[in-house]
Amino acid sequence: MSSNVFIPQEFQDPQESIRITGFWIFLTTDVVLFGSLFSVYAVFRSRVALGPTPHQIFAMGPVLAETLILLTSTLTVSLSLYSARSNHARWSVAWLIITFSLGASFVTLEIREFAGDILAGHTWHQSAFLSGFFTLVGTHGSHVTFGILWAVMLVIQLITRGLTVINRRKLYTFALYWHFLDIVWIFLFSVVYLSGLAK
Amino acid sequence: MADRSKTSSPTGHSDEVEISALTPHIAPIHFPTMQIVGYAMSLALTLLAFAMTAHHWLSPRGLVTVLVILAFIQAGMQLLIFMHLREGRGTLWHIPVLGLALFVALGVVGFSIWIMLFKSGVS
Repeated sequence: MSSNVFIPQEFQDPQESIRITGFWIFLTTDVVLFGSLFSVYAVFRSRVALGPTPHQIFAMGPVLAETLILLTSTLTVSLSLYSARSNHARWSVAWLIITFSLGASFVTLEIREFAGDILAGHTWHQSAFLSGFFTLVGTHGSHVTFGILWAVMLVIQLITRGLTVINRRKLYTFALYWHFLDIVWIFLFSVVYLSGLAK
Repeated sequence: MADRSKTSSPTGHSDEVEISALTPHIAPIHFPTMQIVGYAMSLALTLLAFAMTAHHWLSPRGLVTVLVILAFIQAGMQLLIFMHLREGRGTLWHIPVLGLALFVALGVVGFSIWIMLFKSGVS
């Protein structure tokens, strides 16, 4: 390897750069998981039995808010990574705290939406459409919830140990995970919510 | 594969790039311009998709097609700008793996929808 090539900090340790490749491979398994859930939803979308149609239960206001929150958290996590690369550990932690706070408000809005549906009697027992809907959107929501826990632990590690070689790799893989969840949400927003309202 | 002057054949043991199409593209950045541009474009595409649905600009079938195309454009932007798809060390082996996963996932989705279009047999 010629030594004049610029390598980002996260890849400078050979072992850590292999771990980043490993995380990419985990993400590809998630691509297949969400692909399967999307196909289930597409097949069952019109099978509403005696339950509500997509048009009747989707409220666009909260969903647009959730989308804008998640898009903004995408920007903040990339700024956290950018700060880490510029060796501004405090800024990196600050952007990461903003990121998981935005993630928490996203999950809160989603739980409110689900709770409203369930209190109205629209559980996933009611129709094939609702089964597919809750499984697909709930799987994404649980991924975001796990991402929030991960980000909190990462903040603790960044504060106690600083921008070590391992923490840089962890921040890089967390950013990959968070951006991937944003991609999944873009498809949920377009294919599930907006298409459900198309008439 | 054009440059064989340095080594005779790839060993796979170091950081050498074995397939030229999978060469990392890395540039040191001094201000997060691309991130801000990417964020602005994502917002624009999201609001465009929302406005198209809210104002019923197209027929339902045409609208869904356009929404899916917009979603793929936005996903590609996320991959290239935010996920640093072309960043790495040595050969970018995650790209063919990701391509294979996309092939499987899109195949499952596409053929599921296709087979349901016939609506033969049950119901």
